[in-house]
Amino acid sequence: MPVSLNYLVKRIFWSLLIIIGVIILSYIIIISAPGDPARIWAGNPRGEKAIYAIQKAREELGLDQPLPIQILKYTLQILSGNMGISIEYRVPVVDIIWRGLTATLELLVVSYIIGVSIGILLGVESALRRGSRFDGLMQSLAIILANAPSFWLGIGVIVLLAETIGFTGYGRIDPYIMYQTGFHPITGFYLLDALIQGNFAVFIDVFLRILPPAIVVATYPLGLGLRVSRALIAENLNEDYVRVAVAWGIKRKIVIWKYAFRGAIPSLTQVMGLAFAYSLIDAMIVEVVFGREGLGSIAFSIIGKSDYTLITGLMVTVTIFYILMNTLADILQAIIDPRVKL
Amino acid sequence: MVLAIETENLWIGYMDEEDNILWVVRGVDINVKENEVYCLVGESGCGKSTLGYAIVGILPPYATTKGTLRIMGKEVIVGDTRNYVETRGKLITLIPQNPGKALSPYLVISDQFYYVLNSLYGLDRKDSYKKARELLQIVGLDPEKVLDSYPHELSGGMQQRTAIALALATGAKIVVADEPTSSLDANLRLQLLKLLSRLRDEMGLTILMITHDILSATRICDRIAVMYAGKIVEEAHINEVIEKPMHPYTKMLIDAVPVLGVKKRLVSYLGEPPRPGEYIMGCQFNKRCPKAMKICKVEEPRPVYIGSRRVACWLYSERVENHE
Amino acid sequence: MPTRLRRSSRIAELKTLVKRAWRRRIGFRIGVIIVVFAITMAILGPFIAPYPEEGWGIASPETQLRGPQPPSWEHPFGTDLVGRDMLSRVLVGAGYALMQITIVVVVSLVIGLIVGVLAAYSRGLIERILNYFTELFMAFPAIIIAIALNTFGIRGLFVVIISLIITWWSWYARIAYVYARSIREMEYVTLAELAGLPSYKIIYRHILPNTLTPVIVQAITDTGSVLLEAAAINFLGLGLPPDYPDWGVLVQNGFNYIYSYPWISLIPGFFILLVALGFSLLGDNLREELDPKMRHRWKLWF
Ligand SMILES: Nc1ncnc2c1ncn2[C@@H]1O[C@H](COP(=O)(O)OP(=O)(O)O)[C@@H](O)[C@H]1O
Ligand code: SF4
Ligand SMILES: [Mg+2]
Repeated sequence: MPVSLNYLVKRIFWSLLIIIGVIILSYIIIISAPGDPARIWAGNPRGEKAIYAIQKAREELGLDQPLPIQILKYTLQILSGNMGISIEYRVPVVDIIWRGLTATLELLVVSYIIGVSIGILLGVESALRRGSRFDGLMQSLAIILANAPSFWLGIGVIVLLAETIGFTGYGRIDPYIMYQTGFHPITGFYLLDALIQGNFAVFIDVFLRILPPAIVVATYPLGLGLRVSRALIAENLNEDYVRVAVAWGIKRKIVIWKYAFRGAIPSLTQVMGLAFAYSLIDAMIVEVVFGREGLGSIAFSIIGKSDYTLITGLMVTVTIFYILMNTLADILQAIIDPRVKL
Repeated sequence: MVLAIETENLWIGYMDEEDNILWVVRGVDINVKENEVYCLVGESGCGKSTLGYAIVGILPPYATTKGTLRIMGKEVIVGDTRNYVETRGKLITLIPQNPGKALSPYLVISDQFYYVLNSLYGLDRKDSYKKARELLQIVGLDPEKVLDSYPHELSGGMQQRTAIALALATGAKIVVADEPTSSLDANLRLQLLKLLSRLRDEMGLTILMITHDILSATRICDRIAVMYAGKIVEEAHINEVIEKPMHPYTKMLIDAVPVLGVKKRLVSYLGEPPRPGEYIMGCQFNKRCPKAMKICKVEEPRPVYIGSRRVACWLYSERVENHE
Repeated sequence: MPTRLRRSSRIAELKTLVKRAWRRRIGFRIGVIIVVFAITMAILGPFIAPYPEEGWGIASPETQLRGPQPPSWEHPFGTDLVGRDMLSRVLVGAGYALMQITIVVVVSLVIGLIVGVLAAYSRGLIERILNYFTELFMAFPAIIIAIALNTFGIRGLFVVIISLIITWWSWYARIAYVYARSIREMEYVTLAELAGLPSYKIIYRHILPNTLTPVIVQAITDTGSVLLEAAAINFLGLGLPPDYPDWGVLVQNGFNYIYSYPWISLIPGFFILLVALGFSLLGDNLREELDPKMRHRWKLWF
C-alpha cells in the first residue's frame, strides 16, 4: 500500500503511546500481585524493628507515594533506561537484561537467517509447482513444523544428537576455550565478537553450540515463510504486470524473481517481521531446554522469588521489543515500496 | 502468403473450481494478414480479451481450449495443448489494456527494458539502455525523463507510451493491442491512435486491435470483426461496415455513436448480452434484436460469405440458402 | 466480501463451507479425524485407560516397584519415573488439554468479538481507545504473564487460563474488528442506520453475523496455537502441578531424564503436536476454501 511520511510519523507516535501503556500496565500488574515488595526489599525482617525497616524500604522504593505518582515516576524512569535494582541479585536490572537480551537475540537472529531463507526458497518453489506432489509435501512439512511444540522438538534434538554423534555441548560457550584464547565479549553477541577479534576457535565453538537450538527455533519462521511466500507468489503471479512480462517474452526466472517475488517482498517483510517478535518467546523457551543463558533462563531463575523489579523489567523489555519489531516491520514494508514518497 | 494470425474454430473456456468449463470464446475463425490492422470490436464481456490472451499466450492455467491457432504459420494452439515458446516476445507482443497495472510498480523503467532486451537478445545493461532511448524517442517520450522513473511517477499517457515502447522492444512484428486507449481521455486517445498508425507504417507492424469503441476502430483499422457473446457475427472492411452494416448488432454499435450513426437517432436496444455460460436458444442476439424472426429463436445462424464479407444472421443466411 | 444475508443463511454458509472442504480437501479430512479422535480420547480416556488411577497421577508401592520401563506390550507407551503407565496418563491428559483450550478460546472469542465489533461500530474516540487497548494487550506474551504470576507464587490451572486469555482476546478482537469494519463501511449498513434502525439491531442483525464466520474459522486455526502455548506454560512448570496428567507437565516430568528415559517426554509431546496439527488443518483448509483465488486448478503456465 502506498503510504506517506505522514503515515510513518503517525505510526511511530502510536507505537510510543502503546509503549507507555505497556509500561504502565506492567507496573499495575506487578504492583497488584500479592506480596509486599517493600518487605522483600528489606529482606523479610522480623521482630520489633521490622516495621521501621519495611517503612524505610517503602520510601526507598517510592511505594509510599500515591499510585499515579508511582506510575509516572516508573514510566519516566524506564524511558530514561533505568529499570531499578534487582531484588534477588542486587544489581541493576538493565545490566542483567542486556546480558540476557544479547544472548537471546543472537539465537533468534541465527534461527531467523536459517528459517526465513530456507522457508522462502521452498515456498517459492512450492508456489511454482502448486498442486504437485512436492507442493503437497512442503505444505505438510510447513504445517507440521508450525505445530510442533518447540520444547518438545528441543528435547528430540538433544536426544537425537546424543544418541547419534554423542554431542552434548550446550550452553553458549566453552569456558575453557574462552579462557585459553583470551576471548572477551564486546557487544555481547559472541559470534560477532569472535569475528571482530578474529578468534575462529571461539567462533566455531559458539556456532556449533548455537546451531541445535537455532534449528529448533527456526522451525516456526521456516514453516511460516514457506506458507506465506507460497501464498504471496501465487497471488502475485496473477498480477497484470506479471502476465504482461510473460507476454513480452521475459525469461521465466526473471519473471518469477524480479517481478512476482519482488512484488511479494513488502508483505513478506511485514509478516516475517511480526513473526520475529513472536519468536522471541520461542527462543526463550528453547534456551531453557538447552540450558543456555538468556532472557528465558533469567525469567526462569526468579520464579517464586518475588523479584518484582526484575520481572517488571523483563515484561517491559519483551513487550517493547514486540512493539518495536512490529513498528519496524510496518515501516520497512512501506519504505520498500517505491510508491512511497518520503 | 503466410497469415500473421489464423484461428480455426477456436474455443476458449475457463474452468471453475469444480472443473465445469465456461466457454467464453465459441468457435472463432479469424485471419489477420501481415501488415494489416485488424480490429476486434464488441461489448465488454464478450470475450475479446480472452481471445487476445490466447493469441499472445497469457491464458491462466485454468483456461482450456479447442480448435487451432497459428501464428506466422506455426501451430500454437492445437486442441488443449498450447505452446508459446517460439512466439512470446519473438513473433508477437502485447500492448496492455491498463498501463498503470501492466508495468511493475517496483522496477524503474530502465530495468524493465533491460529485462525484456536481456531475455530476448542477451543485451547487457548499457546496450539495453541505448536501445531503450531509441524506442522511447520513437514513441515520442523524452528518455532522460522516463528511464530512471518508476511507473507511478509517469502520467497515464506517458505510461501507455512507455508500455508501447516496451512492447516494441521485443522486436516482434505482430502486436496485440488490448483496449490501448480505454484508459486515456479523448485527446490522448486520438494521439495514440495516430502513433499506432505511424508505427505500423514505419516498422511494418501487424496490429490486432481490441476495442469496445467502434469509433476508435474506424480511425485505424483495415478490417473489422464484430464479436458478440464469444462469436464473430460480422467481418468486413471498415468502410463497408460503416457505410452499410449488415448484422443488426453491428448496426446497433454504430448507431450508438452519434458521429457515425446515419440518422443520429437515440436508439435504445434493450437488454444485455447473455452472461457467459447462459445458453440462449437460437441466435444469441435474439432478445435484443429489432429484426428477430421465428427461426432466430430456434437455430443459431451460421456465418455466410457475401463477397469479402462475412456475417452470421438469419437475415442473410436465408437468402443464400434460397440460392442453393 | 460479505453481502447482505440473514443469520440463518450465515450458519448455512458455514455448513456448506465445511461440506465443500470435506469433499475437496484431504487435509481437512485428516484434521477432522484427528480432532474427533482427540475429543473421543478426552471423553473416554479415563474409562478406557488400562490403569485409571495411575492415569490420574496416583503412584502406589506397586508402581514404585515397576520403575521407569520402556514401551512394551504391557505398557505400550512405557512407564514414567515412578512406574505409572504412560498410556493411561496420556489418555487421561487429553481431557485436560481440551478443557484448557476450550475455556481459553471460548472466553477470548467472546471478549474479542464484543470489543472488536464495538470498536468497528462506534467510530471516533471509542474506536481509538478500544483499538489502543487491543494493541496494548497484543504486546503481552502469555508466557511472560505466567512467569510474572509465578514470581509471586501464584500457580495452577488459574495461571494457564488467565495468562492465555489476557493475550488471546486481543488477537480475536483485532480480527473481529477488521471484518466488522469492512461490513460497517458497506452501503446497506449505512442505509439501515439512516433508516433509523437502532444501533443494537444493526450490530446484531448485520455486523455480528457477517463477522462470525471468518472469526470462527480463525479461532479454529488458532486453537492449535493456544494448545501449544498452554503446553509450554505447563512444561515450564508455571501452570498445573507436577503430578497432574497434563501433556505439558508429562513432558516436564521426563525432561531431566531424557538421556535415560526419553519416551517419558517424547510420547506426550507427540500428542500435543498431533492435536495442534488437527486444529490447524481444520482452520487452514476452511480458510483456503473461503478464499476463491486459491481454489482454482493450477500449474505454472509459462
Ligand atoms: N481469468 C478469468 N477467469 C474466469 N473467467 C474469466 C476470466 N477472465 C474473463 N473471464 C470471463 O470471461 C468473459 C469474457 O471476458 P473478457 O475476455 O475479459 O471480455 P472482454 O475483454 O470482451 O471484456 C467475462 O464474462 C469474464 O467474466
Ligand atoms: S439472426 Fe435473427 S436475432 Fe440474430 S441478429 Fe439476425 S435477425 Fe437478429
Ligand atoms: Mg477486455
